[in-house]
Amino acid sequence: MIDFGVSLYSYGGDFLVTMTLEDCLADVADMGATGIEILADTHIAGYPTPTAEWVDEWHRLVERYRLTPTCYSSWLDTRLRKDRTLTVDEAVPILERDLELAHRLGFTIIRPKLGVISLDLVPDPVWRETVERALPKAVEYGIRIAPEIHAPTPLKSKIVDDYLDLARQTEHFGLLIDTGIFQNAERSGTHSDSRYVFGNPDPALAAQVAREMSKPMNEDPADLVELMPYVFHVHAKFWDMTDELTDPHVPYDAIVKVLVDAGWTGSLSSEYEGPRDLYRASDMARRQQAMLRRLVAAQAAVAAP
Amino acid sequence: MLETHVIQAKAFKNVGDGEPSGFQVAVRCPYYRGVWASLLEGAELVVDGETFASDSVRWTLGGTTYTADELAESTDVRWPFEEPAILTVDKPGGLQPGLHEVEVAVTWRWSYIPVEMQPTTNISERKLVLVS
Repeated sequence: MIDFGVSLYSYGGDFLVTMTLEDCLADVADMGATGIEILADTHIAGYPTPTAEWVDEWHRLVERYRLTPTCYSSWLDTRLRKDRTLTVDEAVPILERDLELAHRLGFTIIRPKLGVISLDLVPDPVWRETVERALPKAVEYGIRIAPEIHAPTPLKSKIVDDYLDLARQTEHFGLLIDTGIFQNAERSGTHSDSRYVFGNPDPALAAQVAREMSKPMNEDPADLVELMPYVFHVHAKFWDMTDELTDPHVPYDAIVKVLVDAGWTGSLSSEYEGPRDLYRASDMARRQQAMLRRLVAAQAAVAAP
Repeated sequence: MLETHVIQAKAFKNVGDGEPSGFQVAVRCPYYRGVWASLLEGAELVVDGETFASDSVRWTLGGTTYTADELAESTDVRWPFEEPAILTVDKPGGLQPGLHEVEVAVTWRWSYIPVEMQPTTNISERKLVLVS
């Protein structure tokens, strides 16, 4: 069964400004979604050592709003030190700490965002041994580890192949697919009210970076078919929704077809990344959830014998 | 709760016993997540055109105050998403009551962005009132 979920990342402009954690969870429940994804570093007050009271409150809220924790998104900050990147010995306790906290909060998937070493986002090679050494804890807790395939990483790439090599050896390691890779229409690259400079402040370079970060990547959803056995979780990325409840940038009809035809079980987790205007995320998430439900029902009807 | 703007209106004030020795401004983490202090490479302040270089800015996180150099060593200290950092600089006499043009440029490292595009700097500007 496909679960309809929401990542609290979506509430980036509203969280702790117009909405408390409980307001966000209540909003997710109100739109009929059931899966809940959090960013550990954002939504857990006192991360990585929340108080026992905070943890109790989390469980109370999840129960009250009848939500199921899905993915706990964390980071493996390989550039934690300025002079050098992390060693495996330093990285393992970080991943294990997040596995323990994810387990305490009831999550069954963890997405460690891995540091990279190249312009085409090859992950720091410490990832492999770090994950392998943390696997016993993942098995103990019943948690599956899933790095994220995110633009500009293509599905057909050495990065994905390297992940699959480990995924074929253990059921506790697989993929998280961010549907932004299927973006097939131009969009605005801005969603912040303040200015960012990434590295070199040269304006021409900044314009090029903004372009690279927002241009359509045009991956083919059909290329997902053979990966589906290894896909644990999907970020249903979106930047906007029309009044006709369609997505102007991401071909969700083709994506949903792959998921439904594969008989996939997992959470389609709404991840709104458009303008941060206050109160916008709740409306946008409802629009996308309505579209996803419509598409899943339509495809299921076609697929049924 | 937080204000939307990176630069918070709350906590903008002169500091020091008696005659002000400087001033402080509260800044929420401009990232969408809290970060480890060692990822921070400093913050430069510009107030009414006067620049306070990043190595002269002291950071207060969780009630403890750090220099920019000390932050770099603090791999176990957090700048929590939910808690603005208090940035403090020396300025004998402090700032005059009234409206001030405040610019804050926070610089930090993202591990999952190519190193060629790092570090990241967020630049925010806001007019802030110093009440008294």
